[in-house]
Amino acid sequence: MDLSLTPEQEMLKTAVRGFIQQEYPKETLLEIAAEEQPVTAEPWQRLVATGWLGIAIPQEYGGEGGSFTDAGVLFEELGRGPVPGPHLSSCVLAASAILEGATEEQKRQWLPALARGERTLVPALNEGSYSWAEEDVQVVARQDGGGLRLDGTKVYVFDAVSATHLLCTARSEESNEVGLVIVPVTAKGVAIRSLPGFTWNMYEVKLDEVSVDQSSLIGSSFAGGWDALQKAIARTIPVMCAYQVGACQSVYELSVDYSRTRIQFGRPIGRFQRVEDHIINLVNQLDAARWTTYETLWKLDSGQEATDSIHLAKAVGSAAYYQACNFAHEVHAGVGSMTEYGLTLHTTASRSLYHYLGDPQFHRRRLADALSL
Amino acid sequence: MDFEPTYTLEQEEFRQEVREWLKENVSPDISHPPDSINITEEQYQLRRTLGRKLGEKGWLWATAPEEYGGGGLALDHAVVIEEEVDSYGLTVPPYYDSGGRLGGASIMVWGTEEQKQTFLPPIFRGEVRTWQLLTEPEAGSDLANAKMSAERDGDEYVINGQKIYVGSSLGADYMWTITCTDNEAPRHQNLGWFMIPADLPGITIQPMDLLISGGEAGAGSGVKNTVFFDNVRVPAFNLIGGENEGWKVATTHLELEHGTGGRIARNWLVDHLFEYCRENKRNGQPLTKDPEVRDKLIDIYVEAEIARLFNLRNYWMRHSKADITYEGPQASYWRKMSGLRMSQSILDILGPSALTYDPQWGAADGHVEAHQRSAIVAIHPGGTADIQKLIMARRIGIGREVREKAGALA
Repeated sequence: MDLSLTPEQEMLKTAVRGFIQQEYPKETLLEIAAEEQPVTAEPWQRLVATGWLGIAIPQEYGGEGGSFTDAGVLFEELGRGPVPGPHLSSCVLAASAILEGATEEQKRQWLPALARGERTLVPALNEGSYSWAEEDVQVVARQDGGGLRLDGTKVYVFDAVSATHLLCTARSEESNEVGLVIVPVTAKGVAIRSLPGFTWNMYEVKLDEVSVDQSSLIGSSFAGGWDALQKAIARTIPVMCAYQVGACQSVYELSVDYSRTRIQFGRPIGRFQRVEDHIINLVNQLDAARWTTYETLWKLDSGQEATDSIHLAKAVGSAAYYQACNFAHEVHAGVGSMTEYGLTLHTTASRSLYHYLGDPQFHRRRLADALSL
Repeated sequence: MDFEPTYTLEQEEFRQEVREWLKENVSPDISHPPDSINITEEQYQLRRTLGRKLGEKGWLWATAPEEYGGGGLALDHAVVIEEEVDSYGLTVPPYYDSGGRLGGASIMVWGTEEQKQTFLPPIFRGEVRTWQLLTEPEAGSDLANAKMSAERDGDEYVINGQKIYVGSSLGADYMWTITCTDNEAPRHQNLGWFMIPADLPGITIQPMDLLISGGEAGAGSGVKNTVFFDNVRVPAFNLIGGENEGWKVATTHLELEHGTGGRIARNWLVDHLFEYCRENKRNGQPLTKDPEVRDKLIDIYVEAEIARLFNLRNYWMRHSKADITYEGPQASYWRKMSGLRMSQSILDILGPSALTYDPQWGAADGHVEAHQRSAIVAIHPGGTADIQKLIMARRIGIGREVREKAGALA
């Protein structure tokens, strides 16, 4: 048994941390959040140039061919920002869906491009009814001449504005099966709109009679598309959990620092047990997320059945990030709600990531199923 | 990262060896009363016999140095032994031995070579069972306020005073205890630890009548006692770490008591509970199909998994000599509070059957009833939940730049 990282993983962690400190300091993160621009200008291009984003793509397809734990190390560092961008959505989730369900030709066409950041393929999965169930996919795809025509609306789509292409779940009008269809964002009838409010990188995507080639259907068939997506989601969840662990760690560090430097009543506020309690509750959530995540990454790397662990890690991790931010706000009081301080970047992200790839309640129910209760 | 010790062929072969040996050597007569107060002399001796046999093989304290009677084995071997013994519903050691674990570790760090050679082999070979005696009426969370006095008289110290909430049922061979070696000296500079033979004249043991004896993690203690020391003469050789130097020894002892060291064990209560809910029906369907029951079972499962992972992490950190800071008290705090939350969820799920071990109406053969009592009592032994948080805060350095260091461990 050895719960430490390998020397290579430690090196990766150090390298990524240094890069993020340099390229994504707080000022940059605040700018990106304020502008709501596609996250494809600098410094994203420099991040892509490192090659790290190919970590979940096998070397034979132009990626880094890293292990799940390697991906966890990378994404934990990204989560500290929290660094926005289609890193998880395109380079892990969409790439995994391609790996699980695409034809060999489609893999060769897409995976190297995703690894190099030449194309950004963003999954568009949920719809207005907000569900992760197959029966709730209502966006329809019908045969039209030699291609497909898609119609419907996707909602709560992460990173859509950064996409060159969208990976849409769609229900075949002919067979009623749900498959995966790639849609270029420049296609006629595609309209992307930011969802205003307490959201983080969330968009509505309207597909108004959008025409695509037949070759846009992943795996050349609707059958098997949904299963491929489920497998991809299972592989992505632990990596997303690592992102949330890094985020919780960042929020924890901010809170400990503040407890030492904020003076009230003639002493650092961390001397008061009420303030200590918030940070202790925070670190307990952080470590619960950390170790459920790490064990899941290890199970996947060692080829073990991990369904229950995946659900456990996500149920714990999304709740942990949400709670960690709450505790941090209790420590920080007024300054925590000032945008320029940077805590609210995390708070906002935590709320949006709460449901992404399944909220805690959803995964708790799935965990009960996995335990054969 | 590797959460599993049985990765290599060598380790798998070791597991087989341990499994076969246990099959031969664990008495089929060992039973597991839900409340350890019901462990008889006979049951205790079966466990001691197993302990001696494990000790002979170097498996009782597998990672302790061979020169002191330990096994000199690696962490993965210790994990295998713990897992396999746990599959019998037993701990390592299979009897309450708080003084062996905490006193042994303290002597490893602070004892002279001669003291190590004298006191450690009997512990590590399972020849003796040792109680730890810390708490006094006026010194619970504030251990430094210990008043039991030890006065030097020639080659001996004369000990007078009282300890409470200590020990177990069925006696001890040794008592590992903290005393005040100088009434005039300032706080933290007046303490001394002794390893005391339990058969010395002047020691009186009186069992306490408690809701339940309550868990220090590990084997159940059966009862807790008040122990009176009336002019007990202890050889000066048995003073460990120096007169008035006891606070530094305490940092080692308490480090392990407060959850550093971790554990490898299944949560048998959760297993019992899940089995019960699968097998018992309400409204014509198994309890597990009721959505509210399902939800609470998952609450319990999630918290138990987090406890397991914290303990596993701590076990690894201890044996790999990783830089430990707040992780010990974090695991203790989580265990205590999740245990208490779990007991309410169980009461919600099972109803009053959770409260009785009646053969006809009680749930899960009485295991649940004992837990209903121990969950509330467990908040305080081995450092209260609030003390765990206090220590976490110091180790993290909340509101302070200088972080308190963990106690020295061998």
